[in-house]
Amino acid sequence: MKNIQIILNAVLSKNIFEYILIDKDFKVVSTSDGIAMFLGTIPKEKEDVLEYLPELVGSEQEIQDIFKDRSLTYILETVYKNDYYINITIEHYDTNIALVLMHNISDITLSKQKLLQYSNESVLINTTLQKILDRQNALLFVTNNEEISFANQQFLEYFGVMRVEDLRRKNLRIYKHLDASLKSYDALFEQVNSKEEYVIINDDTFILQATMIESTHKLFTLTKVTNLSHEVYIDTLTGAYRKTYFNKQLEEMIKNKKEGVVVVIDIDDFKNVNDTYGHLIGDDVLKEFATLIKNNIRGNDVFARWGGEEFLLLLQGTTHDYAMLKIEEIRKVVNNYLFTTIGHMTSSFGVAWKEESDDVHSLLQRADKALYEAKTSGKNKVVFKKLEKVDK
Amino acid sequence: MIRKKILLLGDFSVGKTSLVRRYVDGAFDDKYLTTIGVKISKKLFNIEGLESEMLIWDIEGSTPSKKISLGYYKGASGAIFVADISRRETVENIEKHKEIFLNENPNAKFVIAYNKSDKLSEIAQENIVLGDDIFLTSAKDDSNVEELFIKLMKEIVA
Repeated sequence: MKNIQIILNAVLSKNIFEYILIDKDFKVVSTSDGIAMFLGTIPKEKEDVLEYLPELVGSEQEIQDIFKDRSLTYILETVYKNDYYINITIEHYDTNIALVLMHNISDITLSKQKLLQYSNESVLINTTLQKILDRQNALLFVTNNEEISFANQQFLEYFGVMRVEDLRRKNLRIYKHLDASLKSYDALFEQVNSKEEYVIINDDTFILQATMIESTHKLFTLTKVTNLSHEVYIDTLTGAYRKTYFNKQLEEMIKNKKEGVVVVIDIDDFKNVNDTYGHLIGDDVLKEFATLIKNNIRGNDVFARWGGEEFLLLLQGTTHDYAMLKIEEIRKVVNNYLFTTIGHMTSSFGVAWKEESDDVHSLLQRADKALYEAKTSGKNKVVFKKLEKVDK
Repeated sequence: MIRKKILLLGDFSVGKTSLVRRYVDGAFDDKYLTTIGVKISKKLFNIEGLESEMLIWDIEGSTPSKKISLGYYKGASGAIFVADISRRETVENIEKHKEIFLNENPNAKFVIAYNKSDKLSEIAQENIVLGDDIFLTSAKDDSNVEELFIKLMKEIVA
């Protein structure tokens, strides 16, 4: 009775239901008139239904069982056929006949597809954005309520956690690394906003930047510079530091009010080496000279190339007398050394002791003046230049 | 005629439909249109004089929130597990798809397609570890698509 009602529905509800009656051998017994809508043609009596509904291949046994047991049903949902989406249901009709019912669900499925398409595209965009974010420097988003709302993969990996929740549990307060007196991310933002701060975390140096994202979130960016410094701050020819690094160290020394000496060093008559032996030999001399100096200074002394044959040396945490002895010793080492190809060379040294009123410029300028005196007064010597006092 | 049901399984947007289109129709369209439900394509096959019909079930991809209906898996002789080689998670998820499929069809055969190889440089392609049943495919460049289907069909009828 139930099946008859379904067939009636199929007949009455055109474009909604269509059917095929099949026998135990999967041969067509009869069909509804509108079946061509889903199959593209009307199967003839005794034709193999699997030709028209290959969707049933693999489920033959399951369908066979329906002939024996009227309680069984076969259902295959959302099948795309001849530009329609249909559900295929097979039910017991009698012991020799089964009803293959096709239910047109195109309208609802197309709506679902639109939603699914939108959802899938969103997931793809989110995944892509996440990948982009993860490739950036370490990023941390903090809400106005001081809650960490997001951290990218770089950040999580650096702090050895898997998820943002783990960061929250650890109560991570990176502002303490910059300044122990800071009490919140808000305070950190006020301090860092629109500039860069260097911060040391777990022996690594980072550049910390802060940006307001809308009015609700703050973004903190940590850029690791520890490893980078070796590539950026090293002079490739001599292996000495570059002046940019020297300046940074000098700034730090002045800022922290440490004692120290700046030395400007020049290889005497180096121009003659280039003119006589060529620039390749000149480069070799620069390399040998730099090695010689590096081998005769302490590990924490900063030795840099200023340019050409001029070098800089920063000796920190030393007394004036020790520094002068040390520099004189280096002058002698160079004087006694025989350079490959060209043999004997000398060098001159201009020295300035850091005074309270000094900045980077004044200190370097004084050391440079001292070097000028050393050069103009015979070379191969060390000249110390005191700060000239101005009478008030 | 022997008819064999084979499934294309994998995450959404890995190129399952494109592989079928390339193999069956010799065409490719790089516009992404998500598949919903299942669409079956037929391909005649002749291996050592034996004519077979491959019924390729292009099934909608699984998404983080929607898994594939198990009803589609019934009676399959084989499967092609498809991943987008440029999306690592889709490669990792192949194991999950395999597990579900083989649980339903323990004796079925399968091959794996690392699809969208056109997105990788030649060097990157060389560094990918492949095996007898793993193919680096591109529906866009028509690379290894036919080989993929033939390999599976040979395994099934062997």
